[in-house]
Amino acid sequence: MTQAIHTAGRVDPITLAVIRGALETTQREMTLTLEKTGRSSVFNLAHDYSNALFDHLPEMILQGQDIPIHLGSLIPAMKAVAGFFGDDIHEGDVIYHNDPAYQGSHILDCCMYKPVFYKGELVFWTVCKGHLTDIGGPVPAGYNPAAKEIYAEGLRIPPVKLWDQGRRRDDVVNLLLSNMRARRDQEGDLNAQFGACRVGERNLIALLDKYGVDTVRAAIAELKDMADRHMRSLIRSIPDGCYHGEAVLEDAGHGLGALTIRATATVKDDTVHIRVDSPPQVPYFINSYAGNSMSGIYLGLMMFAQVPPPYNEGLYRCVSVDLGAKGTLCNAVEPAPHVNCTTTPMETLTDAVRMAFEAAAPERVTASWGHASGINIAGINPATGEQYVTMVLASIISGAGATRYMDGWHACGPLCCFGALSSGDIELLEYAYPIIIHRYGLQEDSGGAGRYRGGSGTVWEVEPIGHEMTIIAFGEGRQIGTMGAAGAVDALPERKLGRLEINKPGEHIVHRQNVITTIQPGERARNVNPGGGGYGQPWQRPAEEVLRDVRNGLVSIDAAATEYGVIFDSCGQHVDAAATAAARQRMNQQGVQA
Amino acid sequence: MKQRFRLGVDAGGTFTDFVLAEKDGPLRLFKSPSTPDDGTRAIAAGLQQMAEALDMPVSQIVQNCDLCINGTTVALNALIELKGVKVGLLCTAGHEDSIEIRLGHKEEGYRYDASYPPAPQLVPRQLRRAVRGRVLSDGSVHEALNEDDILAAIEVFRAEQVQSVAISFVWSVRNQAHERRARELVEQHLPGVFVCCGSEVYPQVREYTRTSTTVVNAYLSPVMGRYVQRIDQFFAELGARAPVRYYQSNGGLALGTVMRDRAVNAINSGPASAPQAGLYIAKPFGIDNVITVDMGGTSFDITLAKGGQTQLNRNFDFLRHRIGVPMIHVETLGAGGGSIAHINTFGMLEVGPHSAGATPGPACYGKGGEQATVTDGNLALGYLRPNAVLGGTIRLDQDKARGAIAANVATPLDISVEKAAFGINTLVNMNMANGIRRISIEQGYDPRDFALICAGGATGMHITALAEELGVETVLVPKSASCLCAFGQVISDVKYNFLASAPMRLHREADLTELNRLFADMESRGRQLLQDDGFDAVDVRAHRSVEMRYMGQIHECTVDIAGGELTAASVDAILAAFHARHEALFTYSEPHNPVELVNLECTLTGLVDKPSLPSLAHDADSIREAHDGFRPMLFDDSGRWVETPVYRGDKLLAGSRIVGPAAIEEPTTTVVIRPGWQAELHASGTYKLTRWAE
Repeated sequence: MTQAIHTAGRVDPITLAVIRGALETTQREMTLTLEKTGRSSVFNLAHDYSNALFDHLPEMILQGQDIPIHLGSLIPAMKAVAGFFGDDIHEGDVIYHNDPAYQGSHILDCCMYKPVFYKGELVFWTVCKGHLTDIGGPVPAGYNPAAKEIYAEGLRIPPVKLWDQGRRRDDVVNLLLSNMRARRDQEGDLNAQFGACRVGERNLIALLDKYGVDTVRAAIAELKDMADRHMRSLIRSIPDGCYHGEAVLEDAGHGLGALTIRATATVKDDTVHIRVDSPPQVPYFINSYAGNSMSGIYLGLMMFAQVPPPYNEGLYRCVSVDLGAKGTLCNAVEPAPHVNCTTTPMETLTDAVRMAFEAAAPERVTASWGHASGINIAGINPATGEQYVTMVLASIISGAGATRYMDGWHACGPLCCFGALSSGDIELLEYAYPIIIHRYGLQEDSGGAGRYRGGSGTVWEVEPIGHEMTIIAFGEGRQIGTMGAAGAVDALPERKLGRLEINKPGEHIVHRQNVITTIQPGERARNVNPGGGGYGQPWQRPAEEVLRDVRNGLVSIDAAATEYGVIFDSCGQHVDAAATAAARQRMNQQGVQA
Repeated sequence: MKQRFRLGVDAGGTFTDFVLAEKDGPLRLFKSPSTPDDGTRAIAAGLQQMAEALDMPVSQIVQNCDLCINGTTVALNALIELKGVKVGLLCTAGHEDSIEIRLGHKEEGYRYDASYPPAPQLVPRQLRRAVRGRVLSDGSVHEALNEDDILAAIEVFRAEQVQSVAISFVWSVRNQAHERRARELVEQHLPGVFVCCGSEVYPQVREYTRTSTTVVNAYLSPVMGRYVQRIDQFFAELGARAPVRYYQSNGGLALGTVMRDRAVNAINSGPASAPQAGLYIAKPFGIDNVITVDMGGTSFDITLAKGGQTQLNRNFDFLRHRIGVPMIHVETLGAGGGSIAHINTFGMLEVGPHSAGATPGPACYGKGGEQATVTDGNLALGYLRPNAVLGGTIRLDQDKARGAIAANVATPLDISVEKAAFGINTLVNMNMANGIRRISIEQGYDPRDFALICAGGATGMHITALAEELGVETVLVPKSASCLCAFGQVISDVKYNFLASAPMRLHREADLTELNRLFADMESRGRQLLQDDGFDAVDVRAHRSVEMRYMGQIHECTVDIAGGELTAASVDAILAAFHARHEALFTYSEPHNPVELVNLECTLTGLVDKPSLPSLAHDADSIREAHDGFRPMLFDDSGRWVETPVYRGDKLLAGSRIVGPAAIEEPTTTVVIRPGWQAELHASGTYKLTRWAE
């Protein structure tokens, strides 16, 4: 007989399961609304948005499976926004916010919060966060590597009401939109967020009608308790102790050199305390304010926990976090510039946390995923005379990390998005913008070597039609490769890296740092993304799997030899079994020279 | 019906269902075990049963059929089991990987799952060959086609013994010349190899969708071609009057000569006939908004028809392959009689998606299953008759059902077996209700405006609870519920969809020449196809729709439009319909913002006359004879058993009215009528269930 595990007994388990389903359906329908109505390509093609439900406390009661970078920061952001207005929250209000000083992620991620009232009482919040294509400031799309302060990056929106007791504040909406490029897109996305929040509200009120506030509240408390118990059981499986991880952030163009982020996970019984130590904040857009850093912490934790959905704030009750001293890279304060923070340094922080958990539970943790190294494009469309600007999501699709079960997925990253992005159809992009996409494909030899190979990164190559195009490169993974796990090692680390190549007549330039540059018709920009990390020792990978990768053009013949010890015969068609056995024996004894 | 009979053959994975409709006569249902290696053996076995039942030779039955119709899972099974043919893909250089990149997305629900595998690839990367030559979004040629690339690829395909070639180039939808030339070269150099082009299979914007759809078609069509040839020959040898018609995923019939080149149009052939069947059954009640629900052993299929119109899905993932062509929208959930109730990692009760299947099956089957399933719950609640015998061999063991529920659900949750059984029932109902929300509320329809049509053997025990959960007031349960799809096939029309793309801003002053030309072209091609098939012009219907969005949106709303020449006035009507649809779906519209028209669709239907529904004699008093004792049942979580009357469906006649709580046992299904509901049997052989208050 199994032990009874339902102990709280406040809500019967059937009603509990039904209410859980209703919350999931609500979040799903909000997401669907955004996907179908979003206006900018970042919204409607890339799904760069997230929805969540909060209770009155306000604690997160349902986290969608959208973008990990958004969701962690929503937990403190919701509390900051509700705290700002205090008693001044009324039925019909809609609040908007992007400011990292109030726990936002970066200012491009604008978040709408709608309090849901029932019989005059605040019961829920429906929350919808999305990446707008522009937020004003000197550089289209917001990524301004020259900014020394947050004031030079774009429009900060501290918590502000867009609807006040049911009345749309056209003056405020107009103020915001007047500060953004491509106004019609931004207005469309704002409407889409409003639609999502309302769809959520409609469903939640139906749920309250059916079960009443008391039962629904009790069920939600129980759902959080269940998540808490589960996370505690996972933490308890780790021996008590202090586990250290660190990851190095490359110099993406600030000239301050590489920066090291350290994480320490202290496990005691069923709790874990995560402490971050990072260097002082820098006058470059890679500083992470506290809200954004929480996303990195939670993602690193989830790469260990691998918990199936649904998610709520109870998961994190046994996790305490200290982001280190104020004014450091991962706990930045005004006036630190920050727009790149959702990828850099967030992914490096995630890696540091992941490494700490790898030290604690070596078998369980997966290899890291390729970090984001992408481009934004901007210019004047010669057909319409209108300015366009967009972040090219296809340009940041990297390889996923291998796991203890299988090779990493190709083209599923970056780490910060964890497969939630959608890069958009190339014909839709070519229809929307005056460009030719010459290549969107997998990159040979980019997947990390291992018993299980990391997923391949991608290459995205573009040429402008009839106009000069501005290319704004951002990110990292162009100097330091993706981390493997469980003994994985790259003998050819150079091939795993991302880079931006500019090809002009008689000129081939490779950028491994952030840059703003322009190209003309007849010239091409080629952005390469890193692959995912491998898992386990490469020379343990069965030769037939390496052969298959070679046939499919994912691994080259020389990389098969150098990284995997699989030697091909002179015509490159068949594996030389004897030479392979000898090479692998040598590797097994000596390792590989990275 | 022009002849005495019409035959519908729905070849499923386990059973092949037969419906033989007779002019002014009864509807006869038969079943035989499916024979996937050669479908004709199952058909021969079914025909033999008919011959015995009618005392008439098989050939005479076939010769007296005006139509023989076949719904088949051949394409579906080949896709599930990855048993299609070896495919080579010719694609635009630089875009060889779009079907493997899949827009860089990992499916929801598996984000942190370290063991969830990538989607299967129908064409390995080494057989995806790059061809230089580039068309731009306006249809202009940026780079000439490189025929050497094609010839080199052909040599690779020859060496690799590729049996099928898919050709899909970027923007071929705007300029087909490169694809046509590539096709010529492949046909010339690889005779006997199947070949298809993106601009023919899915002529709409979206390269990934088009390439994926074309690859799926190339992968399955040779398999479908062999099947069609075998079935055509089988019926021809029996002296069939007309060519066999095959059931398509779009809800219409097609000739074998069309099917063999477009297997992608047949991948969900089975459940696609459900909405047609539902509408037909609802017609005598004056109802034309229906949601059909079909619960089998492992899955639950839902379809919707509004205002007599079936709903189509386009550009979506089917078995993890992106499919563009329109298919009847079928929501399929892992919620069947065999779905397993378990406690998840958080300690919460969940039902499904894992199923005990047919073996070992639910615990109550006594075949070694120890998990508690939905069927075990229904037996424990008294809905199923204890010790009833299924399929001649399985005896339902109530003690085993209760034992499995106690061990797997009641004890871990510290609740009674009764409460646990009711909980399993409640949760599977919630899952099904959420599935119905996806096909109704998420598509902008209110389920309360619809009647639920009950299909499949297991649905009847959940149907009134499901209706309560959704606020639905009317439920229809046909006596033929267990063969609804085969029935849907014999009442369907021949139907072909034609697609085109013409991205443009739509407003009063817009130049409509191109739109009118494309519509006229699609319509005349369809009329020709149907005319060649022997349809009179009066029996042909054309239906047009367009896909629209606000400028800059990516997802479109489908809007039906009137036939004939488009004018400025019709543009106003189209725009108004679009704004209204957007508002219904997403709570707002933007009438002041510009609107873009993207895709066009023209559907040509060849009307086939329909067999009539049965006509039962009227006798409201038949319930006395049909009454078959009482059985204790549970209808809520109070643990209070209710002595519930049970009726034999085969003894009930038209006009019988049964007030819940009650159960009606038909030969292949049981209908549970919860308190507050009543059932009335209509002469057409359908129970109408409605709310009832004392």
